[in-house]
Formats: sequence, C-alpha cells, structure tokens
Amino acid sequence: MRFARAYIRGLWDGRMILGYTLLLSLTVFIVVPFLMIALRSVGKGWFGRLWLPPQLTLDWYRWAVEVGNIPEVMKNTLIIGIIATAISTVIGIFAGWAFGRRQMPGKEVAMAIVLLPRMIPPITYALGVAKTFYTLELVDTYLGVALAHVSVCAPYAILVLSATFEGLDERVLEAADVCGANTLKRFFYVVLPLIMPGILASMIFTFTHSYNEFTLTLLTYGPHTVTLPVRTYLAVGDGYWEITSAMAVIMVIPSLVILAMIQRRAEPEKLVGGFKGV
Amino acid sequence: MTAFWRRNSSGLITVFLLLPALAGFFGLFFYPMLLTVILSFRPEGQVAGWTLENYVRFLSDPDGRWVILLTFILAVGSTALSIVLSVPLALILREKVRGHRFYRLIVLVPLVIPGLIGALGLLLFWGVRGWFNLFLTQFVPFVTRPMAVNYTIHGLIMFYVWLYFPYTCVTTLSSLESLDRSIEEAGAVSGATRWQVLRHIVLPLITPGILAGSVLTFMAAFGAFSVPLIAGGNYRPLSVEIYKEISVPIPARWSAASAIAVVMGGLQVIFLSLYMRSVRRAGGAGGSR
Repeated sequence: MRFARAYIRGLWDGRMILGYTLLLSLTVFIVVPFLMIALRSVGKGWFGRLWLPPQLTLDWYRWAVEVGNIPEVMKNTLIIGIIATAISTVIGIFAGWAFGRRQMPGKEVAMAIVLLPRMIPPITYALGVAKTFYTLELVDTYLGVALAHVSVCAPYAILVLSATFEGLDERVLEAADVCGANTLKRFFYVVLPLIMPGILASMIFTFTHSYNEFTLTLLTYGPHTVTLPVRTYLAVGDGYWEITSAMAVIMVIPSLVILAMIQRRAEPEKLVGGFKGV
Repeated sequence: MTAFWRRNSSGLITVFLLLPALAGFFGLFFYPMLLTVILSFRPEGQVAGWTLENYVRFLSDPDGRWVILLTFILAVGSTALSIVLSVPLALILREKVRGHRFYRLIVLVPLVIPGLIGALGLLLFWGVRGWFNLFLTQFVPFVTRPMAVNYTIHGLIMFYVWLYFPYTCVTTLSSLESLDRSIEEAGAVSGATRWQVLRHIVLPLITPGILAGSVLTFMAAFGAFSVPLIAGGNYRPLSVEIYKEISVPIPARWSAASAIAVVMGGLQVIFLSLYMRSVRRAGGAGGSR
C-alpha cells in the first residue's frame, strides 16, 4: 500500500514528462498510419523487413487514375456531396429555425424524434433504404445516393443550425428595428451576417459526412455512382495495397483541407455534435 | 413576412418549417426502418406471411450469440479505453502547453477522414511487416517473433479507439474548459493539494461531460461498419454480419439480415437508455455542470 502510494506520487511528480510522452505517443499513434499509406503509395518492391521502400515510383497513382478511374469517381463523390449538402442544409435551416426560434408544444419530443437516426446504427435502416430505393429505382442515381446520405447528414445540420439560431440575440434584432431597419434590411444586414458562420459550419460538416459516408453508399451505389470510399473498399477487396494506398492519399487530401477550414472557422465541438437533453 | 419573424405567430408556420425535416425523417428513416422490421418477420424471399423463424435461427445459433457478445466487447472495450486516454489528454491540453493547438488538430484528424483510410493505414502500420513489428523484432530484446495485432480482438479494439476516441476527448475537453477555475482555486486555498483538487473537485465535476462524450464513442463503436469490414478478419460484429447476409449468399437473404438489424437496433436503444440513465445519475451525484 505504501509502495503503491509512493509509486503514484512519483508518477504525479513526473507529470510533465509523462504528459509530453503521452502527447508525443498520441501524435505518433494518429499520424503514422498516414505516413505508412503515403510511403506505400510511392514505394516499389517494398517486401520483407525493410523500414523504407527501396525504390520510389509514381506508377501506383497512374494505375489508380487509369484503372481505378479516380477522376470519374471524384466527380461522383463531389456531385453527390453537393446534392446531399444542399438538401440537408435546406432541411436544417427550416427545422433549425423552428427548433431554435419558435415556440411549440412538445419541442423536446420533436427534436428527439428528428435526431433519432443518430442513435440507431446506420446499417440497420440502410437495409430499408436500399429496399425502398430498389422499388423506386433510385439506386445508382446521384439523387438516390445523395438522399441516402441526407438521412445521416440532416440530423447534424439540424443540430448545428438550431444551436446557431438559438444563439441569435433578440436584442440585436430589436436594436435593428429601433434604428429603423425594415424586415428585408434587417434580414440582409443583421440576421444573415450573424447566422452565416453557423450555416457555413453546418455545410462543411454535412459535406464531410457525405464525403466519408460508406455504409449507406455501399447499399445504394451502382456502377455509375461509385464514390471514393466505395472505390477504396473495392480496391482493398482486390488486394492491391499499393493502388489502394494511392487512392487513399488522393482521398485524404480534401479531408485535411476541410480540417484546416474547421480549425480556422468553427468550433470542433460542433463537429462532434454533443447531445442535448437526450 | 413580418409575421415570419415574430415569435408567437400561428403554429402553421412552425409546421411548415418542420415539414422538410419530417418528410426526410419519415421517408428516409421511419419508413425504411418499418420496412426492415416487417421484412424481418417475413419468410425468406416471400412477400407475404409472418414468421419468427429469422429471429429464432439467429438467436438460437451459438455463432449468433457470439456475434452479439463480440459487438459488445468491442464497443465497451473501446469506450473504456477512450475514456482512459481522453481524460489525461484533456487535462494536459487544458493547460495550454506548448504546441497545444497542434495537438488539438491531431485529435480531430480521425473525425474528418474516412474510416476506411484510417483502417488501411493502421493495418499497414501494425501488420506483420509493418513498422511496429519491425521495431519490436529489431530493437526490443528477447522478442524474435512478430506480434499479431491485425485481425485480432485487441487489435480491433485499438483501431476503434484510434477512430472514435475524439468524440470522448473533444467533449471532455470542452466540459473541462467550461469549468470555473475559481472553484479549483477555492479548493487550493482551503489547503487541498493539486492531486486532491483533481481527484475530489475536477473529476466529479467533469464526469457528466466525460460520460456524454463516451456515449458518442460507444454509439459509433457499436455501429462501426467500415473498420471491421476490412480489418476484422474472422471477427465479425453485428454490422458486418448483416452485410454478409445480403452480399454473400445468392439470392441475398434480406429477411435474415433484417432480423439481425432489428436485434442490433433494439440492443443499441436498450443499452443507450440504460447508459443515459446512469449518466443522469452520475450527473446528479457529481453536481451540475
């Protein structure tokens, strides 16, 4: 007991060193997998016990673009992402305004219902979505895949936007009224600048979700709507790790750009979308 | 238009505002879920008739029960590890150590990148020929054989932690930062050591935040699909089992898959409500945030 206490005290005294060790190992833990992918995507003849690839090549990228059809896949992903973001944002603005600014009976219940898709694993309703889309012939269309993404993205948009609209200060609006602004003027010069960061953040997050969405895409995609995650999965199935790594590098760059944007413009807590009142 | 901005105008506008969300909810979630439930009671490949056979077959099969247990082991294990990792990390990052902005960015990385990419990189790093095993066999004494990490349960838990711990970490950090520093100062003034302040003041106060964040990690880990699909090997949690039912056999066994999906959704809801209840209790005991 005394020994254990002395041990803990020793750990506590060395907390600075321990802390930096933790931070350093965390960085290694998170970053090294990307390094491995990047090395694998340019390495040639990298077998056996070697730390670094013996030869460098860009062949795998050529293969990824030619055989993996990356430009086409990238186009699909972007189109689907934009459609899904647009639909989710419209839903989010309307519902967020209702939840954030308007009084209604049973608001908590309505909110919980709309956010319910976040509590259930996507694969469970993805089955039903796929079945429905087969009968509606929405499978393998941009709209269909984007709509499937909306079921995941829209709750996030609602969550972020209702918080944004709730934070809109009533007194600022009244001040605009007092200063003689009419409704249109007030909207464009006061309300819009105040809510624009929230809307942008919501759009960034929904696009990220759509860009990364795999489960629902896998069940609703077709030969014409292969997105990047599905393409990567198919390449993994084929077993060509080098080409898969090249695809992964191409795919991860937009994500990192988005990350930089998030860091600059929005609070990361919103990305997580913490629960309120559930 | 003026009425649009006024708060207490007719409820009709509220309904109109909620209409797209409700349409999306019923069309893209409720109806598909209902269809899944109905399908799970249909005999395989038929459009009429009712049966419990799909459930009986899945739940009476030892493999089926193992799949459920495995899903729980993975989800609970990775949630617990995420908490263990996140709390010290949040405590460090709160102190604004040198380069804390960089570390905050690092924590967010797994959130924005596709899970598949993370799994791919982790498989490459922890593989038999990856850097981890190279380091182990070349620099650590008495280790001559590579350690198996990929396609094992502990490896899978670690991959889950890599991918899903940011939920816990970000929430813990934000609840730590909203904590009033003067409470801790009051503790210190009253003669508590820093350790006592941490143990008896800070940790109880942020427990609700930690638990709320860990709920998100648990949900993500329970429903994880892409990672176990490519990195699970023979360990297939519920989500992968569902996908296997509709992708491997020909014709696809939609009813069997639906039954597993209903079991999975039900378990998730039950577990979440139990968890939420304990979170509330912890919140009540630990004081308000």
